[in-house]
Amino acid sequence: MLFNSIEFLIFFVFVTTLYFGLPHKFRWLLLLIASCGFYMFFKPEYILILGFTIVIDYYAGIWIESAKTPAKRRQWLIMSLVANIGVLAVFKYYNFINDNITGLCNLFGYNNHIPYLSIILPIGLSFHTFQAMSYTIEVYRGNQKAERHFGIYSLYVMFYPQLVAGPIERPQNMLHQFWEKYTWDYDRVMSGLRLMAWGLFKKVVIADRLSIVVDAMYGGTYGYNTIWVFIGTFFFAYQIYCDFSGYSDIALGSARVMGFTLMKNFNFPFQAKTITDYWRRWHISLSTWFNDYLYTPLVINRRDWGKWAVVFALCFTFFISGLWHGAGWPFIIWGLLHGMAMSYEFLTKKWRKKTFKNLPLWLNNGLSQLIVFLFLQFVWIFFRADSFATAFRVIKGIFNYESFIAQFPTFTAAIRYSLLVGVFVLINFLILEKFWRNEKWKEKYEGNITLRYAVFGYMFLLFIFFGSFKNAQSFIYFQF
Amino acid sequence: MEQQQIMEQLNKIFVDVLDNEDIKLTEATTANDVEEWDSLYHIQLVVAIEKYFKVKFTASEIQSWKNVGDMANAVKSKLAA
Repeated sequence: MLFNSIEFLIFFVFVTTLYFGLPHKFRWLLLLIASCGFYMFFKPEYILILGFTIVIDYYAGIWIESAKTPAKRRQWLIMSLVANIGVLAVFKYYNFINDNITGLCNLFGYNNHIPYLSIILPIGLSFHTFQAMSYTIEVYRGNQKAERHFGIYSLYVMFYPQLVAGPIERPQNMLHQFWEKYTWDYDRVMSGLRLMAWGLFKKVVIADRLSIVVDAMYGGTYGYNTIWVFIGTFFFAYQIYCDFSGYSDIALGSARVMGFTLMKNFNFPFQAKTITDYWRRWHISLSTWFNDYLYTPLVINRRDWGKWAVVFALCFTFFISGLWHGAGWPFIIWGLLHGMAMSYEFLTKKWRKKTFKNLPLWLNNGLSQLIVFLFLQFVWIFFRADSFATAFRVIKGIFNYESFIAQFPTFTAAIRYSLLVGVFVLINFLILEKFWRNEKWKEKYEGNITLRYAVFGYMFLLFIFFGSFKNAQSFIYFQF
Repeated sequence: MEQQQIMEQLNKIFVDVLDNEDIKLTEATTANDVEEWDSLYHIQLVVAIEKYFKVKFTASEIQSWKNVGDMANAVKSKLAA
């Protein structure tokens, strides 16, 4: 079920009403059933995959906790990790691995007879698998007590607001919340609903509108030239940001309505002045996951290598992060480019600090922000293009100086309209976000009911007139 | 070595590794309080501390530290052992 659908609206109203109507002791059951329904809307039989890992991780947690020796604890952890990664390997990476085997075989003149699987990737698989692994790892590390209530543990993995695209929660933040009794609090409910509305606005008015232009550029029908590629990649940066952060806002908002606090997933990522900073602001629940469970153990283990330990751990972590996003080499290249950029920043930090210390702060910050944004815009080409061939055609297009003005009239009316409206709604969005970013203004805004309704009314008009309803799209991150 | 001495030495190491003269550590200082202290530089700090005090920490020890006080205590108990 998509957050931007009528079905979800009905589902949300129905579940939330029941939630507040039921006594606390039945609420976990309601949420669990609702979450199962939410998931089964996509492909019902895949619930069995979830059931499989939930049962394994539930027992792994208890067995890790009650194991008598460190070796036993380790053994149960490994069982849990193998089961989770195994499910990912089969459903997400099997065909990719097979592709690579075929490639290798061809290189040496053999034929690869391993059959391909025809499976549709289970929705949000990478998200809930990572959340489930976080649980067994934290129990193993002694930071979380094993959950004995099977229903509550299942709900930890399946809680519908964050089931299919995060935030990827940690058990320390989430599990205890299912035991707590939340009451109806008008201000909290309204603030949750406002966050949901803002998320929906980002998705329907910005992301889905920009996507029409982005698809046209990457589709290649109109050829590629400098300005056209710039527009397409610029729009994609805001498309993916509004798509994914919009999703997160709806997730956080719908959980907040019921009293739950999910972790913050975005913190104005395009304000970042370094790539390192960017990863503290973008998809925070994933970058902290990788930091806690992959990068840190790796870098501690290899610390004798000095600075190169950091470079190695960064590149390896981002290699895996690329693979996490999608089973394909372009995603891996996207990840590696980020790993290399962060390594560069790490190795040259002192040098950069010395060299640019005389630059005025505003110029230094402005330039840094611009360079980071252009870098993101560029490496997203690998992320968005469906193949290397497309990616390289787009990159080649950067150096094709043919006139965009001459090209513009050849676009279909829908693309021309979306381009112009896209620029208009994007300007609106940037102004609105500038307000949210400023704590003082935000406070003033939230204290002033007239202003709040005026802004809300204006956004509603934009929504009605410029929302992209014919082109309602799934969320980009659902495919991961 | 006394806690006080260890803290002073840690301060020197932090100033040196993070390239920031203004660092004044207390036992309650965490990575949130020092701008340059992030997960990339953390390991450089650990290596520098191990080198100076000639000790070796385990991975789980390193991951259990919540603030500078924990680090100083870890050094102290390693030196006492």
